[in-house]
Amino acid sequence: MSRSFDAVVIGGGANGLVAATALGKSGLRVLLLEAAEALGGQSRLVEFAPGFRAAPLATDPGWLPPAVARATEIDSPARLSVEAPVTIAAAGEHLTLWRDTARAADAIRPLSHADAKRWPSFIARLRKLAGFLETLYRVPPPDVDAPAGELLSFLGLARRFRGLGREDMLEFLRTLPMSVWELLDDFFESGLLKAAVAPGGMVGVRQGPRSGGTGFALLHGLVGAEAGVARGRAPWRDGPEAFTRAAHEAALRAGVTVRTGAQVARIEVRDESVAGVVISTGETISTSRVLSTADAARTFLGWVDPVWLDPEFLHAVRNIRYRDSTAWVLYALAGLPEIPGLTPEALRGVITLTPSLKALEQAADCAKYGSMSERPHVEVTVPSLHVPGLAPEGKHVLVARVQHAPYRLGDGAAWDAAPRETLERAVTDAIAAVIPGFVGRVLHRTLLVPPDIEARFGLTAGAASHGEVALDQILFMRPVAGWARYATPIAGLYLGGAGAHPGPGVLGGPGWLAAQRLLGNRPVRAGESS
Amino acid sequence: MNAARFDAIVIGGGHNGLVTAAYLARAGRTVLVLERRPLLGGAAVTEEVFPGFKFSVFSYVVSLLRPEIIRDLNLPRHGLQILPLESTVTPLDNGDYLASWADPDETRRELCRHSPHDADAAVLFGRLMHHMAMAVKPILGMVPPDPTSLSPADVMGFLRLGGHFRSLGAERFHALHKLMTMSSADYLDEWFEFDPLKATKSASGIIGTFLGPRSPGSAYVLLHHYMGEIDGAFRAWGFQKGGTGAISESIARAAQAFGATIRTGAAVERVLTRDGQATGVALESGEEIAAKVVVSGLDPRLTFTKLVEPKQLPDDLVEGVRRYKFRGSSGKVNLALDGLPDLTCLPGVGPHLRGAISISPSLAYLERAYDDAKYGEFSSHPYMDIVIPSMIDPGMAPPGKHVMSIFVQYAPYALNGGWNDAKREAFGDAVVATLARYAPNLPSRILHRQVLTPADVERITGLSEGNIFQGELALQQLFFLRPVPAWAKYRTPIDGYWQCGAGTHPGGGIMGGSGRLAALEILKEGA
Repeated sequence: MSRSFDAVVIGGGANGLVAATALGKSGLRVLLLEAAEALGGQSRLVEFAPGFRAAPLATDPGWLPPAVARATEIDSPARLSVEAPVTIAAAGEHLTLWRDTARAADAIRPLSHADAKRWPSFIARLRKLAGFLETLYRVPPPDVDAPAGELLSFLGLARRFRGLGREDMLEFLRTLPMSVWELLDDFFESGLLKAAVAPGGMVGVRQGPRSGGTGFALLHGLVGAEAGVARGRAPWRDGPEAFTRAAHEAALRAGVTVRTGAQVARIEVRDESVAGVVISTGETISTSRVLSTADAARTFLGWVDPVWLDPEFLHAVRNIRYRDSTAWVLYALAGLPEIPGLTPEALRGVITLTPSLKALEQAADCAKYGSMSERPHVEVTVPSLHVPGLAPEGKHVLVARVQHAPYRLGDGAAWDAAPRETLERAVTDAIAAVIPGFVGRVLHRTLLVPPDIEARFGLTAGAASHGEVALDQILFMRPVAGWARYATPIAGLYLGGAGAHPGPGVLGGPGWLAAQRLLGNRPVRAGESS
Repeated sequence: MNAARFDAIVIGGGHNGLVTAAYLARAGRTVLVLERRPLLGGAAVTEEVFPGFKFSVFSYVVSLLRPEIIRDLNLPRHGLQILPLESTVTPLDNGDYLASWADPDETRRELCRHSPHDADAAVLFGRLMHHMAMAVKPILGMVPPDPTSLSPADVMGFLRLGGHFRSLGAERFHALHKLMTMSSADYLDEWFEFDPLKATKSASGIIGTFLGPRSPGSAYVLLHHYMGEIDGAFRAWGFQKGGTGAISESIARAAQAFGATIRTGAAVERVLTRDGQATGVALESGEEIAAKVVVSGLDPRLTFTKLVEPKQLPDDLVEGVRRYKFRGSSGKVNLALDGLPDLTCLPGVGPHLRGAISISPSLAYLERAYDDAKYGEFSSHPYMDIVIPSMIDPGMAPPGKHVMSIFVQYAPYALNGGWNDAKREAFGDAVVATLARYAPNLPSRILHRQVLTPADVERITGLSEGNIFQGELALQQLFFLRPVPAWAKYRTPIDGYWQCGAGTHPGGGIMGGSGRLAALEILKEGA
């Protein structure tokens, strides 16, 4: 194997595969390094009990920008339209927010006539505002000191913005800093309905629904979602790995050399420029260009000798907030759970179990003081319903996403057996309260707290977001102010993971834009079709 | 209809209404100010609540009053006299204290005692905040352009704004963006390590706002409170001699000197309109007064839903006012004392009693205080900002006696079960008990106690939900979104009916910016 490449891409997740493909297609000799034995990054499956597998971080499969798929010739796999994408089941009540807007309104009507009437306009507004974010997410982040050549791109954005129309323009500006609580209060009166939608604003943030900026987080998670959906993107029909397979094939077609099980030890820098990558076996790969899709903290605090970095830059990287405060419990089930009175279709979407905005907010309170919630927010999916291969025949996998569980417990406590047991029990109790007989069906369960996620997926503080999705950490502030355009203070080192614009949930979005920057390509104009 | 026809009637004799009146009168207009209460000032009043004891009942310190207003209206000649607030002392739970003094070197030595790192950081932080305040200053003085409009004035406004931001340079622009969007706790965490310092600094980020120090958006309120420090008028925070009401009186005297007429005890019931045009006002007494222009200094809820019929207004405006957040979250406790409090951490009478005492021992303390309020209770251990005006201005209390002003957060307007006399007293008790932890002799010094909840603030001043800023200073309620998108330029859909209160840009604090900008817009229209 050659020990010298034109470019090395670190990370075999969506961004790494897309970036490597883009670089390979432009004629560079590219090596992709993945620390794990398998590709896929956050889509990677965890076999948590013999024959039972799940991809906890890929509950929401994310949005693949069509322009990225086209340019990299990724044969984008099929999605599965879920009729019942979101259901809330709590305290004997349930509500399914059907993808069909009229059907959802029918379901809401018994709770509130007014809310049922407002539902279509709420959904339409979310879609329109998320649609504008989608425009922003196709191009590098605009900035005050952007080169004059990009002014055209801004004008394109401005034109798109104006295209929203007067009311939605103002609503867009108004919604971003709002809390999802206030946003929902503007529209609805039913507590159950509000509690069903609000957790969409809590993904990738430590805050509860009452915190400013959760309005933005809700919209962020809706970019690329299907019409009618209030939260989340449709799953891949053939499972979480479908996209990884397609992207891997595209990378191979582009001539990329892929090495898995290759853990980066450090990035060699000489004269403030990249000289190579050293992997944990001691092997050095020489290259003058590295595109890292790992998060900024891991890349700069883990792999680059700090002598090459200016203290202000290091200070900024240290201040990136990695605090998703999310844990997962993976359950192996002897059979399909049944929720009395609930349509079986609901199990094909997300079922959220927290009954009210107040309960969601309370679940978030503890994390502020470094403790986990006694009554955490829990939402569940049953991926084995779509992808039977995830569990032995007749058996099922249930994935519970849990907020909030901080990376570090307060008072120096470790995530040892006692807090783990407490959290696991709280989650199981929350599920059992809605699914009678749940406990009897559990064959096995595995809890993944943030330090586990960090160890398994190489994510700083276990943050799948690569940095909280907050207004001060997006666009030209992502990953750090002044370095949002994929280049870094080290010549030849680029950042193209979810820690860069446009952030988590945009498959290959940051990787693609970073590759363009590395290649010195003109940014795509916002006004251009994609 | 009263025969006297004025060029303009200003509803509400709060400081913004008075500023508007003074500017209009200065331009030669005949102006009438109508104030419901027997005294002027709105929330900036001085009252002798107990015989011999005078209080700045609501708003109690000043810093933000725009220097151009002081100049244009020649306020010092009319009685404006600010006495500086010298220091801030935060008693700590371990019996020590954290202080900042008028002398920067002394402050630095004090900070070094707790954290040499923070002593260095504080210098850089102060410099940055100065630059940030400078960066925001031109925005405070500008009529918000409408981002959806293509009119030359609006486009020019945004080009000017864009140019301004580009001229700041990327570094300062990014720092400003952080201040606009972060929580004050996260922001301060990036700078400092000593928790009580962060808590005390973050406290100015929560004042008047229903946010905790860990809520995004609170860093902006922090900056808002820094604004006063840059103009050289009086630098930091200070007291008006004779109490805050004397500021209102100085503006009123300036307005009168320019020829304005001021009537107190004149409650306006509604604005009179004909064919979508304001024609005057009707008082509760039944009297009607005609005017070419009517300006409301009241908050947006009263301006758009009480003074006029909402059905005269477009639906999106009415809806916008409905969504506008007031959420009063602060209370006030005014104490008449027969002697000074003795702080355990700094015993005896000293210069520290001439400044502020901040009950903000840790960030978690403040955040827990917010958590109580979030779920509808007043904080059992609240944040307090305490001053003893009689230490600086002896005229405020009888000889040997003192007045203490305690600003308290949080006391939610929407208290579980609502506010009543028992709850008010319980709130007052919680304040005194918390304070007694740091000054055990205080309870025995109290002669009289006045407790004001947000419900009281609303009842007495009229401020909706008792919000001291006429609506929260949250990002979605600032600049061209304040109070309602598309109606942020002091105009209303009713011709000749204008808004000039703190519910418009640039917002609350005794700033006067809203009143001034409104007057300039009215004059620009040639009214």
